[in-house]
Amino acid sequence: MRILQRYLRAAATFTGLAITLFTAATATAGGDRLRVVASINDLASIASTVGGDRVEVAAIARPGSDVHRVEVLPSYMVRVARADVYLKVGLALDAWADQIIDGSRNTKVTVVDCSRTITPLDKPTGRVDGRAGDVHPDGNPHYWLDPRNGALVALELAEAFGKLDPAHAADFSARATAFGDECRAHHAAAATKLAALPVREILTYHPSWVYLAASTGLTVAATVEPVPGIPPTGTHLQNLVELVNARHLAVLLQEPYFPGDAADFLARQSGLRTVKMSPSCDDVAAGSYLAHFDAVVGAIAAP
Amino acid sequence: MPIHALRRMPVLAAAAAVILFGLPPAAFAGAGNPNLSVIAQPRLVVSGNPDDPARNRPVWDVGETEIMLDDYLNPYVRGNVVFSYAQDGGLGLEEGYVDVVRGLPGTLNLRMGKWRSGFGKLNPQHPHAQPFAERFGVLSAFLPGAESLNETGLQASVRLPSPGDIALTASADWLQGDSFRRERASSGLASDPLGIVSGNGDRATEPRPAVLGRLSAFAPLGDRSGLELGLSAAEGTNNVAAGTHTRVVGFDAKAKLWRSEQSYVVLQAEALKLRREDAGWDGAGYTSAEVAPWGWYAFGDWALDPRWDLGASYERWQQDTRDPGWNRATGLFAGFALMEETTALRLDWRHEQPAALPGVDEPSATDTVTLRVIWSMGPHKAHQF
Repeated sequence: MRILQRYLRAAATFTGLAITLFTAATATAGGDRLRVVASINDLASIASTVGGDRVEVAAIARPGSDVHRVEVLPSYMVRVARADVYLKVGLALDAWADQIIDGSRNTKVTVVDCSRTITPLDKPTGRVDGRAGDVHPDGNPHYWLDPRNGALVALELAEAFGKLDPAHAADFSARATAFGDECRAHHAAAATKLAALPVREILTYHPSWVYLAASTGLTVAATVEPVPGIPPTGTHLQNLVELVNARHLAVLLQEPYFPGDAADFLARQSGLRTVKMSPSCDDVAAGSYLAHFDAVVGAIAAP
Repeated sequence: MPIHALRRMPVLAAAAAVILFGLPPAAFAGAGNPNLSVIAQPRLVVSGNPDDPARNRPVWDVGETEIMLDDYLNPYVRGNVVFSYAQDGGLGLEEGYVDVVRGLPGTLNLRMGKWRSGFGKLNPQHPHAQPFAERFGVLSAFLPGAESLNETGLQASVRLPSPGDIALTASADWLQGDSFRRERASSGLASDPLGIVSGNGDRATEPRPAVLGRLSAFAPLGDRSGLELGLSAAEGTNNVAAGTHTRVVGFDAKAKLWRSEQSYVVLQAEALKLRREDAGWDGAGYTSAEVAPWGWYAFGDWALDPRWDLGASYERWQQDTRDPGWNRATGLFAGFALMEETTALRLDWRHEQPAALPGVDEPSATDTVTLRVIWSMGPHKAHQF
């Protein structure tokens, strides 16, 4: 009985606390600007462009980190607890985002799956199992590396922001349309620049660059990983050396978070040039998204 | 292998057959089916324990195999079920609970069902997630429950207001309380209820609730590292007829410090204080004698890169007697992931020096070496890279 009485006292305290917190949360919600948190900087940067001065933007994954493997920290949940909108990459890349959103205890946050209107590449047919490595069953999730998909994301964000802030819906829509034009212009310029390369096949470490390659006329001849998420064997690397030499490949595009020993080996054996670039931009600011795309294209095209 | 475990093998085999062969391909797409994972950790053990019949001989053990299912029930509730099979414990429901994650006022969350209680940092963790093979002695000795403090009940938790990105969480559990029960040795007196009332002398089958509370804080250190501090307390009835209680209070701290993009160090420690009233019978009525030992553990785990880690542990805990001596244990451990998160080898050495009883020489220390092979199928990986 003593224990039960203590429990009831504790429950009463918690109920009072919950009501207080609920009141406080209600009072602070609906501030002047929309608070947006995105899984990656690229979506956050597009949100900054579309939202302009009507949004306050942050991202979860750090610049240059592996978005497949983000460790969920309670501080991320606190960040999302204050958010009006959460932007997910989708296609099972940022499955960790659900844990952050649930853990935020924010019942009002609008979750936008930014992959909703894009056309996924590399969508497997038939059954997917571990033999194919870390394959995403709904398709390759690195779609933001085609700026034309960035344009589609911008339209999605304009619609979502417009619902939450109807007074500025026309502004969001106009900025998204202008950004779409900008994305298409950057894409056209990139395709022209890479069309001038003598060899239009590249090697990549992981299939992060499928959309960039497909949209600019490049072909990914092979990946250093034999299948996604599995590190290379000696035999696989030797096969890659033969492939690089036979087809005169010049560039290996690799993410900074993968080990460099395979790239070093390939460079020694075949003279392959490694371009180390993050698949994501390093800032949430407007303009960062397209600047990063231009930088990747420039690094591939560099002599 | 015990007979009861053999009897349950067909159940496990049937479950495995359903998992491996029975689901149509569409099930793997996740449409309408919960996430399904299997994690196993068969082990090779060499123990110098003089009480172990397999002393100093390598012995294979199937370890603990867990079958996990989790998914949303609806937009507000998420469910989790964990079945586990152990060589000496058979197949059973280790956890089965639902979390109401949204729809409640403010930051209130509710959990209902059976789960590994959130006392400290290690108790809620499944063994496959721990870098060392054996549960620390201080937890085994002081926390109620056989393998862990694992109870059925209801939990309410709230996120408290805090500055910046600091996460401050408070939770209160109302639990069934069966883990707290302790069997009393009969006094041998003719009037002792244990000898008079067959099977339920101390009203041992009467339920008595237990309570558990926890306050935890996480503060980010830079953009990736963090410091966690927690305070836990639990109380329950260990003998209904005598009205005696067990109370445990614990403090825990964990720092995860990233050294580079691929390498980090975890430093973790917990201190526990047990205060237990042990019931007795003196012929006229129940008596109560209090024991109040304490103890602590600390370990460090250095992840050299995503595939390699090594670490060390140390712990000291008092015997739960009126005249407590100190038990001590030292450990070294290392892990290696064969390729990625699904398969890992973990090697562990533990040296334990039991406490000396009053007036008796210190007993011999024991050394145990364990090699675990931890593998997983499904979305829940053997460990996180």
